[in-house]
Amino acid sequence: MPRAEPGISKPLLPQGAELVAPPTPARVYVSLAMALAATLLPWADGMLWLVPDFTLMALLYWSIRAPRLAGLGVACLLGLVTDVAAGVLMGLNALAYCAATFVILMVRRRLEGFDVPRQALQLAPLLLGKEALVLLAGLMLGLPQADWRWLAAGLVAALLWLPLAWLMDRLTGYTRVAAQGEAGPRVRV
Amino acid sequence: MSPTSHAPMFVREMGLPLRFSLYVLLCLFLLALDARYAALSGLRAGLNTVLHPVQMVLAQPWHWLRGAGGFFVTHGEVSAENAELRQREERLRADLLDRRALADENAQLRALLALPPRPGVIAVVGEIQAALPDPFARKVVINRGEAHGLAAGWPVVDAAGLVGQVTRVFPWTAEVTLLTDRGQAAPVQNQRNGLRIIVSGQGSDSLLEVRFLDAHADLKAGDLLYTSGIDGVYPAGIPVAEVVRTEQPRHSPFARALCRPLGGVGQYRHVLVLKPEPAAAPTQPQQPSPRKSPESRHAPR
Repeated sequence: MPRAEPGISKPLLPQGAELVAPPTPARVYVSLAMALAATLLPWADGMLWLVPDFTLMALLYWSIRAPRLAGLGVACLLGLVTDVAAGVLMGLNALAYCAATFVILMVRRRLEGFDVPRQALQLAPLLLGKEALVLLAGLMLGLPQADWRWLAAGLVAALLWLPLAWLMDRLTGYTRVAAQGEAGPRVRV
Repeated sequence: MSPTSHAPMFVREMGLPLRFSLYVLLCLFLLALDARYAALSGLRAGLNTVLHPVQMVLAQPWHWLRGAGGFFVTHGEVSAENAELRQREERLRADLLDRRALADENAQLRALLALPPRPGVIAVVGEIQAALPDPFARKVVINRGEAHGLAAGWPVVDAAGLVGQVTRVFPWTAEVTLLTDRGQAAPVQNQRNGLRIIVSGQGSDSLLEVRFLDAHADLKAGDLLYTSGIDGVYPAGIPVAEVVRTEQPRHSPFARALCRPLGGVGQYRHVLVLKPEPAAAPTQPQQPSPRKSPESRHAPR
């Protein structure tokens, strides 16, 4: 439907954080692509099990901040690409990403209100659970052996959530103070 | 529907649980297809072809860094290395002469015995691009693929010994499953006494194992294991492993030996992919008198 007036498509009521600095599709998709690129870097062989899943972290971040732009479909697609890049069974990471995004979308209103350290605490079981889900699903599908050291990647991801989410909040203009409306709408910090 | 950043006033879409279940079903369907029927190799190869240039670009700064690091080595290091390489080359040349004589002699003896000639191999040199982030297997990606004539199943070696096997081939890259992967096995022969056994990976980076070894088998620490060539995959005579120790589990009728891989599994950047030459047509079933004219059956070189 073509928009008649530029002003009409704006929501009538303030919608929390999205009024402060609405995440544009360009921002969301470019940052997701960058996160995927970070996982595709040629990491050293010995430390692969420590490399956190940047794609999932970006996905979760945007599922909290912009659930209408990054949702289950994007999660599934990124998961399939990750599967191909990692050479594992098709759909393994896609399944884990979808599950993690689903949980986030269920509890996102609560997560939105937390500051970054508390978010990291809440997300740690989820990031750890994703690694566990991948390993368990692989074992159930008949792969001979899983390397349980990879669970460590989940913990590393939870720790890295602190600087990365803080940075993303600053880059996208989202701050908690502004979100609560204390600084008024349309204020960048 | 174009994605918008704000919620619509009237929601006209499936609920979240329903959408989630649909995506889960899709993923499970793909998983089953891939795990049970291997039906997705086309899709995987296609996506990989798209991803490959991206990965190349991402890896480029690392290559430059390594190149820059190599540029600043001192003159002394280079000349020392040069001297060492010269020595090694002379030694190798001597070995090669020896080997050529042995190969000639071997061919002659084989002709005398009317055995088919050993399958020759042509090497393709590949460079390891990255280790795959796969928690279930030990795999690396090399920069040679279908375009260079590779096919799945070919053995991969380095200067010191067997490294693994090509398991998946994409247009410009190939996946090599390392010998240390739990699903990999190689038929070997003990150099000391010719005992034939099977060495398999056990998922550890530094150890291989011989499962189900006869409790009285003559295998000792320090024995060298070479491929026996009877599987038709690995050519005979490639060094594989050195026995570290044998042990006899208490509740099992079989012994077990732990070995150290000789090839630099996961250490070197360059590997050789051995191409199994199409085996010569099998020799005629026993001629009436094999000793009549041995010269006529010499394999043409």
